[in-house]
Amino acid sequence: MAAVSYRPYFSAGLKEWLFTTDHKKIGIMYGITSLIFFLIAGLSALAIRLELYQPGLQYMSEDAYNQALTVHGVLMQFWWAVAIWGSFGNYLLPLMIGARDVAFPRLNALSYWLFFAASVLALLTFLPGNHIRMMWTGYPPFSLNENAGPVAFYALIIHMLGASSLASAINLVVTNLTMRAPGITLRKMNLFLHAFLAMNVIQILGVPALAGAVTMLLMDKYFHTAFFDPTRGGDPLLYQNLFWFYSHPVVYVMILPAFGLISEMIATFSRREIFGRTSMIFAIWGIAILGFMVWIHHMFTSGVPDWIRILFSYTTVLIGVPTGIKIFNWVFTLYKGSVRFTTPMLYTLSAIFMFLIGGLTGIPLGLPAFDIAVHDSHFVVAHFHYVLGMALTLAVFGGFHYWYPKITGRMYSELWGKIGLVIIMIGSNLFYFLQFIVGLEGMPRRYADYPPIPEWVRLHELQTIGAFILAFGVFIALANLILSTKLGPKAEDNPWQSPSLEWLIPSPPPPHNFDKIPHMPEDWDPYNYEWLEKQHKKA
Amino acid sequence: MKEVLAYPANYWQTMYEIWLFVAVVIYLVVFIPAAIFLWKYRYRKGVNEKAQHVHESKALEVLWTIIPTIVVIYLATHSFAFYRVQRNAPEKAMEIKVTAFMWGWEFEYPNGKKVFSFFNSVVNPETNTYLKPEEVNDMFKAYLPAETPVKVLLTSRDVIHSFYVHPAKVMEDAVPGRITHMWFQINKPGEYWVFCREYCGTQHSKMAAVLKVVPKEEFEKWLNQGMQTSEVLNKGNL
Ligand code: HEM
Ligand SMILES: [Cu+2]
Ligand SMILES: [Cu+2]
Repeated sequence: MAAVSYRPYFSAGLKEWLFTTDHKKIGIMYGITSLIFFLIAGLSALAIRLELYQPGLQYMSEDAYNQALTVHGVLMQFWWAVAIWGSFGNYLLPLMIGARDVAFPRLNALSYWLFFAASVLALLTFLPGNHIRMMWTGYPPFSLNENAGPVAFYALIIHMLGASSLASAINLVVTNLTMRAPGITLRKMNLFLHAFLAMNVIQILGVPALAGAVTMLLMDKYFHTAFFDPTRGGDPLLYQNLFWFYSHPVVYVMILPAFGLISEMIATFSRREIFGRTSMIFAIWGIAILGFMVWIHHMFTSGVPDWIRILFSYTTVLIGVPTGIKIFNWVFTLYKGSVRFTTPMLYTLSAIFMFLIGGLTGIPLGLPAFDIAVHDSHFVVAHFHYVLGMALTLAVFGGFHYWYPKITGRMYSELWGKIGLVIIMIGSNLFYFLQFIVGLEGMPRRYADYPPIPEWVRLHELQTIGAFILAFGVFIALANLILSTKLGPKAEDNPWQSPSLEWLIPSPPPPHNFDKIPHMPEDWDPYNYEWLEKQHKKA
Repeated sequence: MKEVLAYPANYWQTMYEIWLFVAVVIYLVVFIPAAIFLWKYRYRKGVNEKAQHVHESKALEVLWTIIPTIVVIYLATHSFAFYRVQRNAPEKAMEIKVTAFMWGWEFEYPNGKKVFSFFNSVVNPETNTYLKPEEVNDMFKAYLPAETPVKVLLTSRDVIHSFYVHPAKVMEDAVPGRITHMWFQINKPGEYWVFCREYCGTQHSKMAAVLKVVPKEEFEKWLNQGMQTSEVLNKGNL
């Protein structure tokens, strides 16, 4: 490639950042916002764990606890597990398909700034009088009660997030389908992009249901309609149906792109194409479609008719099948590979084995015979911390390390990367595994206080210790990433030797990505490592 | 049947054991090959520098589609069979009505006798910490006969709560405007917790009650002793 010198995109001035429509800058802004909220939500989690260390209320009132838990849940779900894909997706999609930007760059900037506005509003809920205490689920009639806090505020935040997600989803689906460079067929497209496409389709189909639900909530509270208020003929279960019609699929919005990152990294570091690539793609879409047919598993004890519970228990456990296909294929990708244990690879392997625990504990939750004892207990909390707090978060941190040289042009420290991961794994397993056990023993969810049953107390103490170890590990991992932007050695353009298109251009990428739109040759494939070697020999 | 503390917890226990067995087997089926591959195919200079070419295997893909499908359908069907029993009260069950409110429980017995339990009746008023079940004042306790199935008709006066009987491992939501149901039977006399398991505001985590399970004759005696136990003292809470 010709040695043209250019200013790296991130050395731009403040004004350029604020008015940018460049997908790379927007991706980075999503990432930083998302990380900041991850840290805020993490701090509120530490406050919660501190309060649960012993029975009784030592550090905060019930209301403060309920607010901290609401903040933790909402921020972790929407600002971390969903919004972080705004970062990876925006940054990687155009680079992986050989495009100079997304289809509608200004709309993309609008999506980010709507998200930013929602973020500011979310911070304003910390002000006295704005405290929201209705948990991320916001079930009426409780959410119509004064005790829950200002619903209008909450509804506004959800609408801004929803508008941002919809605009972004449509933009990125169009980009993906219409702007792939010649030679990048759907079959040859990166698995991350397949997952990301499915994620955006789920958003487009699901967000309107949630938007409808919070609008009805708002109207019930302020305009005296009666959608959910049983004293005037409404039905509170209607809300739950609308809410979960979106909020179950949203867990796949969160995890599918994480599966995508896992596939990218495990292929690169085994130096092999993903095993069973076709069935991997079918599994992604199978999960996306089945994901819309299982929502009642969140309502097994809510009073819906018994036959519906049974029907949805079958659909729920069937989701385990495409999920299992993905796991088996990842394992067989290692077979006859040449496996390199870099930091991102270790994150990937950890993510897979933690996801396995999360998935296997999801299955019994889909069985009413089991769920009636653990619904709304800490067992459910542990289940989704294995899938979100661990599998997703580990995949994301793996991704941070993997694309670090691409984004910054520098290398992080492998040693500190591995130390951070080991501490995170020790802390989170101590924390979340014991959460399963205290849940099996009956500990109810969303409890600021609990009776001094001796086993519960012991389990809670150890969990709190685990949580602080986990936080320390996250601190090390992030400190390594932040300090390496200054101290890290200069990275090569393609340190992992991957033929995926984003690695074939300089690191960091030039402002316009590609001088010429690339034409990918017949024998190229994002996972054809031999092709890359042949290119090297030719050069 | 062997001595069980409470029904239908025994069904839950069996379901739990079946699942745990299946889950551990699946975990090992994934983990062991993965560990072997990671070791055997690790990169070494001069020995394993390059991956070998591997063809996809239709047979394997079919295998790991069909077998998990059979396993999960088996689990769901087993659950179906159990759930019918866990869900439907035996015909001779005693029926009580439980009404939840922010924050406490009202228990109404077949003869109309009522017990009220409040969030502040399960705590030490000075420290606001939980008491042990035995330390709670008897007038706030819902008495129940041992070895007798109890069917609970549930509803709520304000927001959604959930009635979770700790030893019996069952719960069902108390939804305003609806009547839901569940059943359980506790065999061993003693004092047991009931917790609210659906978030309902400030005192959600203190919305517990104590079930005092006593031999049948003692229960009959208690049932016919006055119509109400606790309301008068706690009018302020309603
Ligand atoms: C094998 C696949 C899975 C199955 C069968 C499954 C099943 C379930 C079931 C039945 C529940 C409801 C339990 C209850 O409330 O009683 C649940 C809760 C939950 N699951 Fe999963 N799950 C799976 C994977 C996932 C994944 C991949 C994620 C996220 C990335 C996830 C996130 C959650 C969350 C956040 C909740 C709790 C929602 C709430 O009540 O706040 N699950 N899961
Ligand atoms: Cu779900
Ligand atoms: Cu409650």
